Amino acid sequence: MPEATNKIIIFETLDSTNIKAKELASQGAKPWTVVRAVKQEEGYGKKGSGWFSPEGGLYFSVILPKSNTDDLQALTILAAYIVAKVIKEAFNVEPLIKLPNDVYLNGKKICGILTENIIGSDVKSSVMGIGLNTNTEKFDSELENTATSLKIELKREIDNEALLGQIIEGLRKTLATISQ
Amino acid sequence: MKLKIKDKEYDVEISDQGAGGQVKIVVNGNAYMFGKAGAAGEISAPQTALPKRDFSSKTIKAALAGVITEVFAKEGDMVKEGQKLLTLSAMKMENEIVSEFTGRIKELKIKQNDKVKEGDVLIVLA
Repeated sequence: MPEATNKIIIFETLDSTNIKAKELASQGAKPWTVVRAVKQEEGYGKKGSGWFSPEGGLYFSVILPKSNTDDLQALTILAAYIVAKVIKEAFNVEPLIKLPNDVYLNGKKICGILTENIIGSDVKSSVMGIGLNTNTEKFDSELENTATSLKIELKREIDNEALLGQIIEGLRKTLATISQ
Repeated sequence: MKLKIKDKEYDVEISDQGAGGQVKIVVNGNAYMFGKAGAAGEISAPQTALPKRDFSSKTIKAALAGVITEVFAKEGDMVKEGQKLLTLSAMKMENEIVSEFTGRIKELKIKQNDKVKEGDVLIVLA
C-alpha cells in the first residue's frame, strides 16, 4: 500500500460536505481527498433528513477508492466501527453502534454516516460523509432528547483535528482490505 | 463492543482462535465458531457476496437489494451511457444508478418506493 497521504480541504461553510465531495470526485479528485466544513448549512443524512451542523462539530466527507459492488454494503458498517473505536480509545467511553450507520453515546446519537455511491457497470465513485457532534454545545429542542455531543458528555473541549486524523487513518487501514 | 440491531442491544466479542483458523464470536454470552466449511464441528459463515452482473443483455439490474427512492427516466426516453436513471437506497446508503448503455428505455420495471432484490432487472433498454 502506498504511503498514506490525505488532502484535506477545509471550507468555512458548505451546504453539505457530501455534495462538495461528489462534485470534486466528478472532476477527478483523487481517493482519500477529504472535504471538511466548519459548519454545514444543509447537512443531510439518509433520504435527505437533516443533520444539525453548527460550528464546533466535525463534519467531513471522504472520496473513497473504488470498491467492488459486492463490498459496498460493508463500507458504512466498517466506518461506524472505526468511529466508535476511535471514540472509545480516545475518551475511554462506551459508544454503541446502531447498525449500519449511527453511533450513540449514553443513549443519544453522536455520529451519523451517509455513503453515496454512483453505480453503472461498476462502482464509479463512493463518497462517505461523517457528521460527528464533538464541540456542539446545545441542540435544538426537537433534537435535545435524541442527540448529544462529546463536549456535553465529557465536559471538555475536543480536538477536532486530532480526531479527524485518527478516523481517516482508521478508515484507510480498514478499507484497504476491500478497496482498490 | 455493543451492537444495536432493530432496537435490541447485543454484546459482541470476536476472537481469533488461531490453530484451525477458526473465529469465535460471542453474542450475549453464546459462543459461535466459524471456520472452513465441511470440517467436522465447524459452521461456515453465511454467503454474503452478491452475484456477478450479467453484461450480455441491455438490462440494468439492481447491484444490491434496497428501495427505489427516485426515478429520473420514463419509458421511451433515450438515455446515454453514464446518465442518472434512479436512486436506490440500501443499508442507509444512497446509490445513484447510472445507465451502462446508450439506448432507448423499452421497459421500466420499477417505480418509486418499490423494494428490489439484488439481481432484479430494473430497466430494459432497446
